[in-house]
Amino acid sequence: MNEKKSEASASKALGVVFFLAGFIGALVLGWVVFPNLLYSQKAQPMNFSHVAHADNDCESCHTFRPDGTYTGVPRLDKCKECHETAQGTTEAERILVEEYVEKNREPMWKNYAWQPDNVYFSHAPHKGQGLECIRCHRDVTKEEKLPAYRENLITGYSISTMKMTECEECHAQKGVSNNCEICHK
Amino acid sequence: MKFGRRAFLQIAAGAVGGSLLSPLPWQLAGDSARWSQNWSWRPSPERGEITKVPSICTMCEGGCGIQARLVNGNRAILVEGNPANPVTEGGICPLGAAGLQFLYAPYRISRPLKQTKGRGNISGFQPITWDEALAELGKKLAIVRGESKAHTVACITSGRQSSMDDLWQQLFSAYGSQNLFKMPTQADGLRSSALLTTGIASPYTFALENATHVLSFGSNLLEGAAAPGRAFAALRQWRQNGNVKLVQVESRCSLTASKADQWLAVEPGAEAAIALSIAHVMIAGNTYDADFVKNNVFGFEDWTDSTGKRRQGFKTLVSSPTYSPEEIAKKAKVDAAAIRALAKDFAAQKNAIAVWNLGHSDLAFNTYDELAFVALNVLKGNIKTGGLVNLTADIPLGALPAVEKDALAENAAQQKRLDLTRDKTAPVPQNGLYGFLDSLAHGSKYPIEVLMVHEANPAYSLMESRLFQAALDKIKMLVSFSSFMDETACLADLVLPNHTALERLDDVKGIPAASFSYYAVSSPILKPLGDTKNTGDAVLALAGKIGGTVASSVPWKTYEEFLKFRVKGLAETQKGAVADKAGIRLTSAEPVKPNFKDGDDLWKKLKAGACWYDAPAEMPSFKTASGKLELACQAIPVAAAADDHMFLPHLFTIKLAGGEQDFPLLLVAHSTGYLTSGYLANPPFMNKLIPDWTLKGNEEFVDVNPQTAQSLGLSQGQSASLRTTQGEATVRVNVTSAARPGVVFLPKGLGHKAYDEYIQNKGTNANSLMEVLLDPVSGMGTVWATRAQLRRV
Amino acid sequence: MSEKGHAQSGVRFGMVIDLDKCSGCGACSVACQAENNISFRPDESEKLRSITWMEIYQLTNGKDYPDFRQAFLPRPCMHCDSPHHSPCTFVCPVNATTRDENNGIVTHIYPRCIGCRYCMVACPYHARDFNWWDPSWPKPMESMLSPEVSTRMRGVVEKCTFCHHRMLKARSKAYVDGSDPNKATYTTACADACPTKAITFGNLQDEKSEVAKLSKDPRAFRILAKLQTEPKVYYLSKQDWIKKLSDNALK
Repeated sequence: MNEKKSEASASKALGVVFFLAGFIGALVLGWVVFPNLLYSQKAQPMNFSHVAHADNDCESCHTFRPDGTYTGVPRLDKCKECHETAQGTTEAERILVEEYVEKNREPMWKNYAWQPDNVYFSHAPHKGQGLECIRCHRDVTKEEKLPAYRENLITGYSISTMKMTECEECHAQKGVSNNCEICHK
Repeated sequence: MKFGRRAFLQIAAGAVGGSLLSPLPWQLAGDSARWSQNWSWRPSPERGEITKVPSICTMCEGGCGIQARLVNGNRAILVEGNPANPVTEGGICPLGAAGLQFLYAPYRISRPLKQTKGRGNISGFQPITWDEALAELGKKLAIVRGESKAHTVACITSGRQSSMDDLWQQLFSAYGSQNLFKMPTQADGLRSSALLTTGIASPYTFALENATHVLSFGSNLLEGAAAPGRAFAALRQWRQNGNVKLVQVESRCSLTASKADQWLAVEPGAEAAIALSIAHVMIAGNTYDADFVKNNVFGFEDWTDSTGKRRQGFKTLVSSPTYSPEEIAKKAKVDAAAIRALAKDFAAQKNAIAVWNLGHSDLAFNTYDELAFVALNVLKGNIKTGGLVNLTADIPLGALPAVEKDALAENAAQQKRLDLTRDKTAPVPQNGLYGFLDSLAHGSKYPIEVLMVHEANPAYSLMESRLFQAALDKIKMLVSFSSFMDETACLADLVLPNHTALERLDDVKGIPAASFSYYAVSSPILKPLGDTKNTGDAVLALAGKIGGTVASSVPWKTYEEFLKFRVKGLAETQKGAVADKAGIRLTSAEPVKPNFKDGDDLWKKLKAGACWYDAPAEMPSFKTASGKLELACQAIPVAAAADDHMFLPHLFTIKLAGGEQDFPLLLVAHSTGYLTSGYLANPPFMNKLIPDWTLKGNEEFVDVNPQTAQSLGLSQGQSASLRTTQGEATVRVNVTSAARPGVVFLPKGLGHKAYDEYIQNKGTNANSLMEVLLDPVSGMGTVWATRAQLRRV
Repeated sequence: MSEKGHAQSGVRFGMVIDLDKCSGCGACSVACQAENNISFRPDESEKLRSITWMEIYQLTNGKDYPDFRQAFLPRPCMHCDSPHHSPCTFVCPVNATTRDENNGIVTHIYPRCIGCRYCMVACPYHARDFNWWDPSWPKPMESMLSPEVSTRMRGVVEKCTFCHHRMLKARSKAYVDGSDPNKATYTTACADACPTKAITFGNLQDEKSEVAKLSKDPRAFRILAKLQTEPKVYYLSKQDWIKKLSDNALK
């Protein structure tokens, strides 16, 4: 009888162990392994140091066009204004000049905040409402090396692509329209 | 220890619990939802800066101001009207708006091709380099010329007015051939009637913008007139002002007829009879401008010809009872009272104008029809400086240097143009393209070694298609400069593809039938997509390979240099002005003050999408035998005029082939706004506009009046066999009261055999069913109707 | 909220089409196709399958030759302003189509659409089209797709948006220029293209706007007004037969 009891309690303990093993295993999988599996790292065409360009205003590259659209990541023409020939000896400088400027090829930068085609996003109203860039983007003022670009294997979005819920939440808080056509095209 | 079912369940329960506390399931659910929104095979258009590039449309004769939207300066996404263009003020026609579908057409030719197998065998086309292509054609042209056969080289170029016309003319003069033809347009008729009545071969113009009463004889004003931009702008202005009356005389209830304030439904071909009857009423009631007629017109009263013979004048002729509304009403099958009312209205209005030939397709009217319409404007005193009708003014572009003809050119130039070598030639010959083809098809005086085709698709768009086919059999080498694999390019032995309209530097010399002068330079909106060459540059390169004095006659290195030279000449005249904003009244009689400095300045402004214009010119002094405006046209030789009325506007119909017994119906091919029927094939965007009672699947419909349909035992949608004296086609029947009883109407623009699946093999090419009738005075091909029968199948 | 159930925004975008000026050329429809990446197929003659946001209907007076007359009626989405809901927004089970009460535009969001086509049934104007196939473009023509409008996928409904991407662009421009974005106006691609200037677009609630004035013109009428859908697209014609047809169902 006792034996049976202890057997039962042992099996119960073992049950807890099994349960915990599954539980912890799943937590590890969900919190540690899965996020790494879900995102693949993609290389940028070259490094870009924001610090090295700190003597310029942000607006000299990231600026509004007269039609209200935003330049976002500048195109090669902008780079060429200074980097027609190499300005330094870094590897990135070499890649820029040899692979892109001289061949007149556009570097295919991966946009960390990339939104899909069905999303309409305009910087102008957000800037106009006084939002700081770092409300949505990483602070790049001290950034010497571009962070890794991580792409979701299922959606193809960047890990930092903002989700619709976040947009809606802020719009709701600020009393801005959350109607579909405000953000979708 | 045994790892049993229980243990497994325990682990599973733990795993489920753990997962629920980790981001995994939520992330997966969210990501799969996001994944489902993005179908990877859906195109994702490249993003970037959107810019606007102004230019001028050269896809038809209209010369409208356009602007293209580009993404990152290299991808065109939209063509829209240029709000700064004074003619269109931002409007655009459907063809212009679909312009990018030609730039990005799958059927574009991207490099020179040489036919290595039999003619018409598409698989025989081999790509060659430009050097090879130009060398091959250059060598051929040099050899033919060396053999003193320069006259056996011919060219058919676009009906559009551009400096390419002058370059071709210069090349052909220096080379030694007169066989240079333009595709027929309705402006040909306005030119030929102007030549007969004023002695000047400049097409008549109509100041639509200044008229308050427009009496239109079958003009396709709203079905894509020769210059749709201007026609639509005129309609806009008429409706805005609300004081303009448009009267349409036509057999079919076209859109123009429907939109007109009044529509007089007549028998096809009876339009001129109505005009003459209106003249009859005006003369009888003395409601014409007698002062104008007395001082400026010859042949209104009876007259004496150069041989001293007394001849009937217009007044005597038209006053005869034959032209009374009652008699004409019988012929045209209208109400005599309607003609009288029309005449009364027309006579009463101060700014009334009679217009015709404002469409872009073949001539529907013969010379005497045209003269009848001229006569109405004569009676209104319209044809004068500042009047509603004037002559197209020459645009004072830099003149081309005199051609230095060497012996080879001189000798070859002795050979007459092929259409003029026929036994029975026209006394006042004009655009002789149909005559040229006709003589080739029926045994010509000399063969044609090389035919070059530029910005045209004669194998499809000429009427009586089998004529071109028959002529082509006699032509040894066909060279196409087309940008597209069209019906003609398919038959070519050598293809030297032009840039498409939006990729090339080109110009526009005037808007057809506009009273003001207009000149514009069409600059490319982006770099050419393929290995194509502006035909202007190709022609200049060819000139260098021919030898003799040909190269020195065209001394420009590039087509751009040539156009700059022309614009420089224009600037030096210090005439006209640059218009770069809307709201300019182009038809104002006020002299225009030049607002450009020199050639470079004008070139810069024109390249930036502005246009040059000048106020309507003064009427030049008439170059007729009498020095007056001639209603009795003395240009028609006495020998060619069997009777007095042969000099005058009169009732005249060129007899159609076939008898009424076999072909009881008339077939009329008509233009529509939703189908382009010229050099360009209907683009996919415009295919959406084609109603399903015009095209269903691959079957085209003919419009038939309910009464006619009933008598033929046909009902809506039924298939029928349409047979004319020229050919046969299976069609379906659209029963509509828009059609006149006894007449079958077939839209033009379908029935293509070339291009791609979006347009190929859809419907019937109306041109293949129509009969071309050569005009006895001008020798030009006219197509007003063809005898037909329609049978149930 | 007003008695119509709208937010009091002062902006109600609408359109007036002058049928007396309209020549039926179809430039509006083509410009719309180019602006909005509307897909096309080799056979466009099956009109129930053909996607056209700006459809050109033919109207006829039904009389015999020569009293017969025809006219063309361009038909965009009417952006119905009936209280609380438009016919289509009322029936959408997934909120893919809604009306923005700030400007009156009836929107339709493709990724949200489940393709049930209930809205197509509800729309009395046949303004909605369904993607029966995956849109595809012959190879080089993909180059002319605009990034300002997303391409659709098989299985969703689409319709005229009053070019609302242009509205957003106009608002962005207002922000950059420092003017009031709520007063930003714009025009649609069809109105821009019209060669006879028959189409006027603007804010119906701005008394001074051209569109507001024209909508009160004695010639003005709306299609199927009896259904109380309150279309924001007005038509102008002095022809009685055309006005009469406006109360008939479109075929």
